[in-house]
Amino acid sequence: MTNDKLLQIKNLKKYYNKGAIKALDDVSIDIHRGDVMVVIGPSGSGKSTFLRSLNLMEEPTDGQIIFHNIDITKKSFINKAGKKEKVNINLHRQKMGMVFQHFNLFPHKTILQNMILAPVKVLKMPQEQATEKALALLARVGLEDRANAYPIQLSGGQKQRVAIVRALMMEPEVMLFDEPTSALDPEMVGEVLSVMKELANSGMTMVVVTHEMGFAREVGNSMLFMDEGKILEQGDPKELFDNPQHPRLQDFLSKVL
Amino acid sequence: MCIGKEIIMNNFITAEGFEKTFRYIKLIEQGIFTTIMLALFTVVIGFILGILLAIMRMTDFRPLRFLAYGKKGRIRNNRALVAISKFNPIAFLATAYVEILRSTPVLVQIMIIYHGVFGKLIEIPSFTMFGFLKSNRFIPGVVALGMNSGAYLCEIIRSGIQSIDGGQTEAARSLGMTKVQTLVHIILPQAIKNILPAIANEFVVIIKESSITYTIGVQDLMFAVTAVQGANYIVMEPLLVATAVYFCLCFPTSKLIAYFERRMSRGDKR
Ligand SMILES: Nc1ncnc2c1ncn2[C@@H]1O[C@H](COP(=O)(O)OP(=O)(O)OP(=O)(O)O)[C@@H](O)[C@H]1O
Ligand SMILES: [Mg+2]
Repeated sequence: MTNDKLLQIKNLKKYYNKGAIKALDDVSIDIHRGDVMVVIGPSGSGKSTFLRSLNLMEEPTDGQIIFHNIDITKKSFINKAGKKEKVNINLHRQKMGMVFQHFNLFPHKTILQNMILAPVKVLKMPQEQATEKALALLARVGLEDRANAYPIQLSGGQKQRVAIVRALMMEPEVMLFDEPTSALDPEMVGEVLSVMKELANSGMTMVVVTHEMGFAREVGNSMLFMDEGKILEQGDPKELFDNPQHPRLQDFLSKVL
Repeated sequence: MCIGKEIIMNNFITAEGFEKTFRYIKLIEQGIFTTIMLALFTVVIGFILGILLAIMRMTDFRPLRFLAYGKKGRIRNNRALVAISKFNPIAFLATAYVEILRSTPVLVQIMIIYHGVFGKLIEIPSFTMFGFLKSNRFIPGVVALGMNSGAYLCEIIRSGIQSIDGGQTEAARSLGMTKVQTLVHIILPQAIKNILPAIANEFVVIIKESSITYTIGVQDLMFAVTAVQGANYIVMEPLLVATAVYFCLCFPTSKLIAYFERRMSRGDKR
């Protein structure tokens, strides 16, 4: 872990129904380059809302998210030349890969087309170069022979591995995972977790919402425990698992472990 | 020829009647061609208009949004203000258009377009296409039919777009794609595939409905029928010929599109 702050989250709030529901209630945390931050907590505690706020899939009610020295929750910022400039969220999202519980592959496109679409259309990468890159990434997750298949022809575990490498095509600086193994049959969880583990070992910054406590403990190097929209405890996963301080965390762990 | 006498139309079906009808084969051919041109132009205009209207109805443009917020950006308690703040003029216009066109007869719409809009407001240069299609009748006819089917296609397209899982948009946007790129590359291809049967159905409806343009003098198939009827005092034979032609246009079209739809859906199911 370095001290290089990649994402700074300051006093982030997300309210629904005019504040009746506080999905995020004043959350502040720094994410450093190379961090593998795992987020745990009971259902409805705001884990997804937290993760989805980071790339503004969810628009926060209040607070700041500093990415590359820009508060991306605002409409504009003052650039280096001292001029007011619009925040282009699409630009920042390219640098934040996201993996969903339900994969969300594009069903009308082949695996290869799924992977090269955004690089070609968004980054204007030449088609051949994108294809080459996609095939290399597919080989890395053992799916090079499925390049021309459609998503429907793949198993859940294969789909999720494709979803991960599809996000990697954009060369993100951070990868966001929202319960990536929750929709999988038990026998397919392992293959996805091992891809994620390999990704973590390669130095990728990751934020992972998960119910896989084994993975959280083994792969995570920092952990957040959330409840009712707040971060109740944070620290090294092994310490939190072995020596939880907050009664809610103790209670939560006694139920899931 | 029959001054002072009532014209007696022959309601019987005779071989002679068919023979007389086929003497006008040139007129009937032109009518068929016109009908096909009407339907093709209409479906293109209707489809473009339908996509535009569907996008308008789905915009998130709320210029009065600020009314909902008081000091410090807090949402006001005043319900009326909050309700007004949600007003979307673009969506309102599109919705009004769709509802009005779907709730009035196409015959009335054609008359208004022909006599009102193109008769008074807009002057169409008068020219002849393909040697017989008169622009000052064909264009109002196509515009009226296109405007009408645009309203129906808007609703078909909108339901198609809304049937696509929200996760698709999220995945595309999370890869940095813009709203427009997401619509063009992810949402529309899937939506259009889903609604192809409904669009095909609309195309067949347009072929049949285009017959109404004979009331403003478009020389389509029905125009040919009335011409033959009037010249020969026969009723049934030209109508039967028209029936056969309409059937031969519509039935294979719907079968053909159903075939392509089956083939297309094979790609991602297997
Ligand atoms: N669109 C919405 N409208 C209203 N309330 C919402 C909305 N989205 C989320 N919430 C509420 O916000 C809270 C946090 O939800 P969130 O999905 O972040 O929880 P979570 O920790 O991811 O739960 P889970 O483990 O079930 O996925 C919940 O109380 C939820 O009901
Ligand atoms: Mg969740």
